Amino acid sequence: MNIAKQIKTLLQEAELYHSQGLLDEALVKYHHAEDLIQRHEQLKNRLKLIDAVSKKIQHLKNEIQRIENAPKRPEVSAKKQDLIKKLFTLTPNMSEDASALEGAVALAKFGQFKRAILEFKALLKKDSLQVAAAKNIIRCHMALSSVDDAVAEYDQWLSENIFLPNQLQRLRTFFENVLNKEGIDKILPQIKMSADDVETIIHIPEVHHVKAQTYEDDRLKNEEVKIEDDEDLDINSIGITFDSGPLKEQVFEFKVRFQLGNVVSLLISGREKDLIEKFKVGTTINDVQYYSNIAFFNGSGLIASVKKIKIGPMRGDYCVDIEAAIS
Amino acid sequence: MAIFNFKKREIECKIVYYGPGRCGKTTNMEYIFKTFKKQVVGEMVSIDTEGDRTLFFDFLPMGLGRIKGFDIKLQVYTVPGQVQYRSTRKLVLKGVDGIIFVADSLAVRREKNMVSLKDLQHNLKEYGLNIFKIPLVMQHNKRDLAGQGFPIMSVEQMEKDLNRQLKVPSFPASAIIGQGVGTTLKECLKLTLISFRKNLKLGR
Ligand SMILES: Nc1nc2c(ncn2[C@@H]2O[C@H](COP(=O)(O)OP(=O)(O)O)[C@@H](O)[C@H]2O)c(=O)[nH]1
Ligand SMILES: [Mg+2]
Repeated sequence: MNIAKQIKTLLQEAELYHSQGLLDEALVKYHHAEDLIQRHEQLKNRLKLIDAVSKKIQHLKNEIQRIENAPKRPEVSAKKQDLIKKLFTLTPNMSEDASALEGAVALAKFGQFKRAILEFKALLKKDSLQVAAAKNIIRCHMALSSVDDAVAEYDQWLSENIFLPNQLQRLRTFFENVLNKEGIDKILPQIKMSADDVETIIHIPEVHHVKAQTYEDDRLKNEEVKIEDDEDLDINSIGITFDSGPLKEQVFEFKVRFQLGNVVSLLISGREKDLIEKFKVGTTINDVQYYSNIAFFNGSGLIASVKKIKIGPMRGDYCVDIEAAIS
Repeated sequence: MAIFNFKKREIECKIVYYGPGRCGKTTNMEYIFKTFKKQVVGEMVSIDTEGDRTLFFDFLPMGLGRIKGFDIKLQVYTVPGQVQYRSTRKLVLKGVDGIIFVADSLAVRREKNMVSLKDLQHNLKEYGLNIFKIPLVMQHNKRDLAGQGFPIMSVEQMEKDLNRQLKVPSFPASAIIGQGVGTTLKECLKLTLISFRKNLKLGR
């Protein structure tokens, strides 16, 4: 191909890539064109061309710089934050508080740390969520590279009366781990304890709440913040204890065949007549354990449907749909 | 996983546009927003940077009306394509029911297409999903550039690169003029609904 034409093609390509936001690709083409122009001294308007192309290159490099330097997770408008919360709190059947926690977690996951901290702080007042909220506050401060704020926060918790001593101890361990992972050498203020408190640590069992989300294993980096909820409500199997009748107090375990949201489907052999009797549509079973990968929790189950399978290898068996409600 | 609400008789499913940066995912959605007025039930929201790069995602709520007594609601998303937004992509992919993989026909983006498809497979796997089983369609976008003398890959080449093993339905498109956009989305919805029906039949 004739050199002038070849250069023209390269420049056209570069323009296209630039217009499509493919900046690196555009840069390669401009450099290639520049190179050709340099090497062909017989070209008409050569100096002018070189000048024009190098201007384009400079312009492009600035643009690339600007994008690289822009914050990777800027704070977005409150309206968009609201949308993020709405779209990324999906777990059905949650209490209002648990759902508020999930909303704040969603904000943190998308790097909206300042707003997330405000929402987590509001949740410190909720007994069941306060530890999870506190851990998240520490995480968010760390993500904002404000270790001192995190420490100040922790210091304040020590002086306030919202946490039990064993909870404070857990928070401390958590915080220390975070600091360790980040390679930050910082001594945390001491927990003051009385003899009564020591007693409490021994006797109060840990309460595991279904939606208490913690991120013990995550690393927080400013750009790629990885905040995962470790609670997924995918249910693998369920255990049912009946409170009356001939099957009273026996525990039955069922594999979950299929799950859609909060409805799980079980398969029950047609031969288990006594059992099938127990599943009456519209009734609620009060003692149900739901087992997921990471935890199990207690709840109740509303029998949504019972259907006898008429065809296929499972013929004669029953499919029971149970709407899970977690207590 | 689709949110299934027996009481409200409503199925809410999630469709995600996936693909390398600048392949035309947002452009697809913009066209749908403009054109499918009847099915669009709210505003399209883009969470993007000033350079119009998708930062977190684009979102478009849609509704397909009633199918077999259920109200079908769609949440359509695009992911940010740039490599550094890996974790955001994964978040957006959570609970996905159907995927449209948009590939860039520009020859210079050949690698990026393949890397993005691998990334999709990887992220699905982390959610316990299999790229061979999930409802998936492919779109070869920017076909209009072929007629303008720019180096673009042939459809055969792209099929070989991306679809040899998957063998999913694929469509040529030019999202910027809307060509192939509706067809791609419709096919993805069809596959998604078929997959629902199959799942719902399990044990019934
Ligand atoms: N010529 C052409 N350009 C397109 C087409 N689709 C998208 N683009 C352009 O490609 C660039 C990136 O598109 P965008 O939708 O933002 O890509 P995304 O990063 O995948 O969301 C924009 O400049 C679009 O105008 C197409 O079909 N043909
Ligand atoms: Mg986009």
